[in-house]
Amino acid sequence: MRRMFLRRAGLALLLMLAATALTFALVTAAPGNVAALIAERAAGPGADGEMIARIADELGLNDPLPVRYVRWLGDTFTGDFGVSLRTGKPISEEFAERIPVTATLLAGGGMLALFYSLGLGLWGATSNGRFADRILHGIALIGASTPNFFVAALLVIVFAVGLGWIPSFGLYGWTSWILPCVTIALFPGSVLARVVRVNLQEAMARPFATTGFAKGMNRGEVLVREALPNIAIPYITTFGAQFTLMIIGAIVVERLFGLNGIGAFFIEAIRFRDFVGMQAVLTLFVVFFVSVNLFVDLVAMLVDPRLRRARRA
Amino acid sequence: MSEPVYAVEDLVIDLYTPSVSVRAVDRVSFAINAGETLAVVGESGSGKTVMTLGPLGLMPEGVTIDLRGSARAAGKDLVKMSPKKLSSLRGGQFGVIFQDPMSALNPMLKIGPQLAEQARRFAGLSPAAARAAAVSLLARTGIPDPEDRYDRYPHELSGGMLQRAMIALALAARPRVLIADEPTTALDATVQAQILALLRQIQNEDGIAVALITHDIGAVSVLADRVIVLYAGRIAEEGSAIDVLTSPVHPYTRGLLASVPDFRSDTASGTREIPGLPPDQTRVLPGCRFADRCPQAEASCRTKRPVLTCVGGNEVPHRAACPIVIRDEGLADND
Ligand SMILES: Nc1ncnc2c1ncn2[C@@H]1O[C@H](COP(=O)(O)OP(=O)(O)OP(=O)(O)O)[C@@H](O)[C@H]1O
Ligand SMILES: [Mg+2]
Repeated sequence: MRRMFLRRAGLALLLMLAATALTFALVTAAPGNVAALIAERAAGPGADGEMIARIADELGLNDPLPVRYVRWLGDTFTGDFGVSLRTGKPISEEFAERIPVTATLLAGGGMLALFYSLGLGLWGATSNGRFADRILHGIALIGASTPNFFVAALLVIVFAVGLGWIPSFGLYGWTSWILPCVTIALFPGSVLARVVRVNLQEAMARPFATTGFAKGMNRGEVLVREALPNIAIPYITTFGAQFTLMIIGAIVVERLFGLNGIGAFFIEAIRFRDFVGMQAVLTLFVVFFVSVNLFVDLVAMLVDPRLRRARRA
Repeated sequence: MSEPVYAVEDLVIDLYTPSVSVRAVDRVSFAINAGETLAVVGESGSGKTVMTLGPLGLMPEGVTIDLRGSARAAGKDLVKMSPKKLSSLRGGQFGVIFQDPMSALNPMLKIGPQLAEQARRFAGLSPAAARAAAVSLLARTGIPDPEDRYDRYPHELSGGMLQRAMIALALAARPRVLIADEPTTALDATVQAQILALLRQIQNEDGIAVALITHDIGAVSVLADRVIVLYAGRIAEEGSAIDVLTSPVHPYTRGLLASVPDFRSDTASGTREIPGLPPDQTRVLPGCRFADRCPQAEASCRTKRPVLTCVGGNEVPHRAACPIVIRDEGLADND
C-alpha cells in the first residue's frame, strides 16, 4: 500500500507542476501588459513607452516563457509569490491574512456538509420509503439544485434582515460564520446526502445485510453497523470531490458575506487585472485540489480492507 | 415424541413487490425436531427460501410479505410476532447459513469480532471469554490457525474457509435450529463434501435441528433424516429420506430424481430433465400445479387440489400429493 500511495503522491506532484505551468501560460497570455500596469501605477496615465520597456526588462518579462516559469516556480517554493499589482503588498502577506478566513469557511462548511449529509441520509434510510424519507429526499433535491447566491440571499433575508439574529456581512464574532458556512455547505451536503441514501439503500439489499438481520440485529443496527461501513469509500471519494468544489463556492460566498478571504482576493485580482495575484491564487487552488485528492485517496486506502492489506497478499 | 423445535402449520406466504404479487408458499406444514435434519428440495423458484426464511422476517429489501398460518418456535408464533421481537429470535433461536459466503459476509468487517459479538449478545460472555469462544468456534468449524483468522477480513479467506466462518457465525449464538440455504451450491465439489461433513459433525455434537435447503440430491442422501419436496409453493411429497429417495411416488419427485445423474442405478436411460417450466405463481389456479408438466395428468388434476396422502413409511409417514399414482399403483396406506 505504501508503494501505491507513493506512486499517487508522485503523480500528484507532476499534476501540480503541469497545472501551474498551464495557468502560468494562460495568465501570461491574457490580454493586458504587466509592465504597462506597473508603469501606470508609478507614473499615472502618462507613463511612456521607454519606462514600460525598462520595467519589463527589470522584471525579466522579456525572457522566454519557460525561463520565466522556472524562475516563478523557484520563488514560489521559497514562499515568495511576488507583489500584488493591486495592493502593492507582497502576496504572501495577503495570504497570511486571508487563508485563515477561507480555511475557516471551508472547514465550517465541510463539517456542516458532513453532519447534514450523514444525518439526512441515515434518517432517510431508517424511514425507508415512508413519508419522512420522501420529505428528506425533497429537501436534498432542493439543496442540490439551488444556486449558492440564491440560498445566501434567502438566508440573509430570513435570519439577518427578518429575524435579526445574526450578522449578514463582515466578521463580528463566531455567529458571522453561520450563514456563509450554511450557504457553502448546502449544495455539497445535499449531493452527499443522496450518496449516503442511495448507497445505504443499495447496501441494505446486499446479502450481508440479510446476514446482519439473521445475526439478530434490528434494522437500525444493520444500517449503522453493516451497511454504513460499506458506503465509506463512495462517501469519502464524493466528499473529496465536493470539498474541492467548495472553494469555487467560497469565491461567491466570500463576496456575498463580505469575508476577506482568498476568494474575495481572487475576484479583486481579476477586476484589477492583477496578474501576479491571479497566478498566486490559481496556484493555491491547484495545490488545494491536488492535496485534498491525495488525502482522500489515502483515507480511502486506509478504510478499504482490501487495499489496506494488499501488501500482505 | 418431544416437542418439535420449529413447527410450521398451514403456512401461506404471499410476496408483493411493486411489480408482482406471488403466492410463494401455499398451505405448507412441517416440523423439525432437535437433532434432526430436514431437507427441503425442489426446483429454483419453488419457494424453499421463502418458506424457511420468510417467517423469520429475512426477506430482501423491497419485498413485502404477507404470512398466514402459524410458525412456532420457543413457544411463540413467529407469524404473530412484531418485527422487533422477531429480531431477538434470530441468532438466538435460528442460525442461518447462506449460499454464497463471499457475499453473505460483510467485506468491511473482520470475521472473529463478529463471532465474539454474537457470543456476547446471546450468551452474555465477557469480552475476553467471547473472544476465546470465537476462536474455539473457528477451530471447531475446521478453520486452521484460528487465532490468525480471527482478525481476517472475508477477502482474505477462500470460499470453503468462508463458508466455515459463516457456519461458525450462525452457531455463535448457540441457536436451536440451523437453516442452511444451499450451503454448498457456490463451492467447489471437493469443498462441498467437506462442508457437508462439517454440518453432520456439528449436528452429531450439538444435537441441533438442521433445515437443509438444497438442489443437491447427493447432499440429501448424506445428511437428511427427512425430506420435503416442494413444487410451486406446495409440498408434493414428504417422508423419511430413504423412503422419498428410494421409492418416490409423486411424478415430480420421480422426475427430479431421474434428472440427477447416477443417483439411482436403475435410471439406465441417464439423466432426464423434467420437460416444461415451473408454473406462473402470480395466479392461483385450482388443481395440481404440476399438471401441465405431468406425464400422468388427467382432467381431474386440473380441477381439484391434491391432498397429501399417506403412502407408507414407518415412524415417519411417507406422504404424497398425487391421487393418480396412488390410485394406479394402489399405494394408499390408511393407518
Ligand atoms: N426478491 C423477490 N422478488 C420477487 N419475487 C421473489 C423474490 N424472491 C422470491 N420471489 C418469488 O418467490 C417464489 C419462491 O422463491 P424462493 O426464492 O423461495 O425459491 P427457491 O426455491 O429458494 O429458489 P432457489 O433454488 O432459486 O433459491 C418464486 O416464485 C420467486 O419468483
Ligand atoms: Mg432459495
